[in-house]
Amino acid sequence: MNYIGEHTFWALAGRFFTYLAFTGALGTALFYGLNWFRPGACSGPDELGRPRPAHGPFLSAGRASFVLHSIGILGVLSILMTAILSHWFEFDYVWRHSSRDLPIEYVFSALWEGQEGSFIIWMFWHMVLGWFLVRGARSWEHGTMAVVGLAQLILTSMILGVFVFGTKIGSSPFVLIRELPENLGLPWTTIKDYLIRIPAFRDGQGLNPLLQNYWMVIHPPTLFLGFAATLIPFAYAVAGWIERRPLDWVTPALPWVFFGVGVLGTGILMGGAWAYEALSFGGFWAWDPVENASLVPWITLVAAGHLMFIVKKKKTSGGLTALMVMLTFVLILYSTFLTRSGVLGDSSVHSFVDLGLNGQLMLLLGFFALGSLVLLVARWRALPKNTADEAFSSREFWLVIGSLVLLLSAVQISFSTSIPVLNKIIGPEGLIPLLGEAMAPPADVFRHYHSIQIPVAIVVSLFMAAVPFLRWDSTPGAMMRRMIPSLVATLVLGGLAAWGLKFDQPMYTVLLLTGMFAAFANLDYWLRFLRGNWRSGGLALAHLGFALILLGALISNGKKQAISQNPVFLHKDFPANEHILVPAGDTVSMHPYWVEWTGERREGHFQIYDVNFYGTNPDQTPGDKLFALAPYIQINPRMGNVREPSTKHYWDRDIYTYVSFADMRSPEEKESGWTEEMEATMGRGEEVFVFDEFMMRCDSIIVNDAQMVQETGDLAALDMAARLTLKHMDGRSETIDVPYQVRGNQATPGEAEFVALGVKARFDGVSDEPGRFTMKFWRKSPEEDEFILLQAFIFPYINLLWLGVVLLAIGSGLAVAKRIAGPKPAPKA
Amino acid sequence: MKRNHVIALVVIALLVGALMVTIQDASTYATFEMAEKKSPETVTVVGQLDLDQPITFNAETSMLRFTAVDKDGERSVVYFNQPKPTDFERSEEITLTGLSSGDTAFFAQDILMKCPSKYADEAKLSAE
Repeated sequence: MNYIGEHTFWALAGRFFTYLAFTGALGTALFYGLNWFRPGACSGPDELGRPRPAHGPFLSAGRASFVLHSIGILGVLSILMTAILSHWFEFDYVWRHSSRDLPIEYVFSALWEGQEGSFIIWMFWHMVLGWFLVRGARSWEHGTMAVVGLAQLILTSMILGVFVFGTKIGSSPFVLIRELPENLGLPWTTIKDYLIRIPAFRDGQGLNPLLQNYWMVIHPPTLFLGFAATLIPFAYAVAGWIERRPLDWVTPALPWVFFGVGVLGTGILMGGAWAYEALSFGGFWAWDPVENASLVPWITLVAAGHLMFIVKKKKTSGGLTALMVMLTFVLILYSTFLTRSGVLGDSSVHSFVDLGLNGQLMLLLGFFALGSLVLLVARWRALPKNTADEAFSSREFWLVIGSLVLLLSAVQISFSTSIPVLNKIIGPEGLIPLLGEAMAPPADVFRHYHSIQIPVAIVVSLFMAAVPFLRWDSTPGAMMRRMIPSLVATLVLGGLAAWGLKFDQPMYTVLLLTGMFAAFANLDYWLRFLRGNWRSGGLALAHLGFALILLGALISNGKKQAISQNPVFLHKDFPANEHILVPAGDTVSMHPYWVEWTGERREGHFQIYDVNFYGTNPDQTPGDKLFALAPYIQINPRMGNVREPSTKHYWDRDIYTYVSFADMRSPEEKESGWTEEMEATMGRGEEVFVFDEFMMRCDSIIVNDAQMVQETGDLAALDMAARLTLKHMDGRSETIDVPYQVRGNQATPGEAEFVALGVKARFDGVSDEPGRFTMKFWRKSPEEDEFILLQAFIFPYINLLWLGVVLLAIGSGLAVAKRIAGPKPAPKA
Repeated sequence: MKRNHVIALVVIALLVGALMVTIQDASTYATFEMAEKKSPETVTVVGQLDLDQPITFNAETSMLRFTAVDKDGERSVVYFNQPKPTDFERSEEITLTGLSSGDTAFFAQDILMKCPSKYADEAKLSAE
């Protein structure tokens, strides 16, 4: 049957490109692999002592396969984008993730909102980075590209959407809604023009309102580029270890690691910026499992990068380095599993929905995890024997220790994040029921993570302060003494800062000092010893940036001040919360500000609340107006309303507020509030006491018109009314007629309102007793005072954090640039 | 013994220590009855909102009071000293983190709501 209005051709084309990408990946892995493993290809360096180039019989076939793979990925991406832009709602993916009113910039967000789309963007980056290997990896090309091909093969299988022996492999974004298993055979799927006739297809479900934020346009692709960047060092490490060159791979892989550190770090904190601006949990980091899942590989990647310097300079620590690089990639896959398998359902705010790909995801994870492990064990003996301990004052010794501290931090975060997974394995209903009761994530996540991660941050910042001054092999005392100026600066300025900030936790003060030491030492090193040189400044700037991130996070969180303290006293052991009631037209104290809610307005699907902030006079009265904020509630009837904050940025602090509660009923709904329904049976002349304060009297029954059916004498039509007088205790009274109508067998109760007294009456029906009838009464609900609840925080020095992110990105970029344009005629990659 | 071995041992000791702390911090999934027994320990109760009982929200103190039914079908009055979450009545499952006050009520510190899937795949909105 030909359906009307469907874009079946493009669905087919999408499938075709998916299969092309899959086949291309298969060919890439296969041909590069054959080229790599052909006899004599890994036979050591050539006569000039250089590794042999990768030329071989299957090289062209491998490259050609990768071309096909790339065409497939680009085809899939462009068709999906076209489908979303053109609102082809017969596509399940398009229908679920977009709608007609979606602003154009969020089309991209819609593209990667779902699992399938985010797999595509991830594969797209792998493909782009793969081309750098094809162009520049030279002797490493076949080894690394075989690994890339393998990774792409498994990832492409995630969007295949085919059934093999009854097992679903992958979930295709090109499935039409009528082809979904749950819809097969339903009557509407046989309607030729169902797209026109069924209203549900006229518009899509739309994008989750939380994701309709500009950060969500750039955060996911940046994060996925960071994810993708970890594949390249992984590929180098695997290639190097298979070729029994367990140290040589480090040099070409190094720039990729720092590229990954910069991009992934920026991507993670872009997510933090989104959370800070669009979510109302009051901060940029919540230790949410999904956030942790991308932080952990970043930490191990940083550790791997630092270890790689040791391998490069000292030809030692090769095993630990390879382990860390492989662990990073495996952790990326594990984070994919955590966020996509639905296992975090109970514990995370933003995990993906389960697509039934768990088996496949576990296969992906298990393959690379076990494969790496086997490779490391099998080739461990190829490592050069390390005979001597590193000197205590050497840079390499402290780099190893620092990496181990980072590993410790990563393991702890991973472990806590994995509690739902542990439940699945050893919980009471798990595979091996070891635990008597299911573990739940810690109740106070901040306290929990900080109890381990703050000491880690203290140690790490000390190392960061020292590392520029440490030298390979051993550090002369003269060099160490060069740290003294930064140490003095830290003691003076840090002491002042600590005295000014007065943290209530001693650990925070320690971190403040070590963090400042790290910042000063690296700034000093860059300005005084490198004379502000950009080319060599990567290390110092990245470390300065990270020190500022730590300081910004510490001060803005540790001294985060809730200014919306609720003034109502509850109980001495039960403190009032931090949400304050702001009545319309009143000014409320939020020390050091006075806050006034001036009104609300509707713009599109935003309900905006205008809030003015005033200063405080010396006599504690409201002073001059300082600034206005406009927190809003995003109205979304389908996915739930979202409270979004508004922030005033000063250089040294942010004032952040959001509406934590508002009466969202429309003015009409608020108006029509009739409450306290009561029923009474009345007759002419009778009186009823209503609502404790009124006397209701039926003065008369007025029959306006009555018609009989002539033959039978039955009632054909009757128009009547009850005249009621309502008298308040204070003497006010009001009289109205409540109508009642009968047409044949159909009776229509009528209503009338005592407008002045705020009571409504309904003539409900005639009673069985002659001459009496039933009435219902309601009274108007009392006028509610208009109010909103606000929560407001001051985040001091949060700009240090954002400045730190920029410096970290610049520093990593410089480190990459230096390694690419190194002095040796090194490979371009 | 080489120093590297000492370092390895120290790292392992620290790792074990960190994991012990983690396990101690982990709260447990419980029912209202278990929460009462464990009081004042903080636990996590997964249950549903009882829509037949009144849900009252005092805006002055921003205190929410409602009744929840846990997975064993036991009811408890729950106090939540936070503003009422949006679409609270529409939630199909609620995860309460908090502690039991003994026999009278459950004090929730955090509420995670799961909304019906027809609204959204990811419409789980944290109460905070």
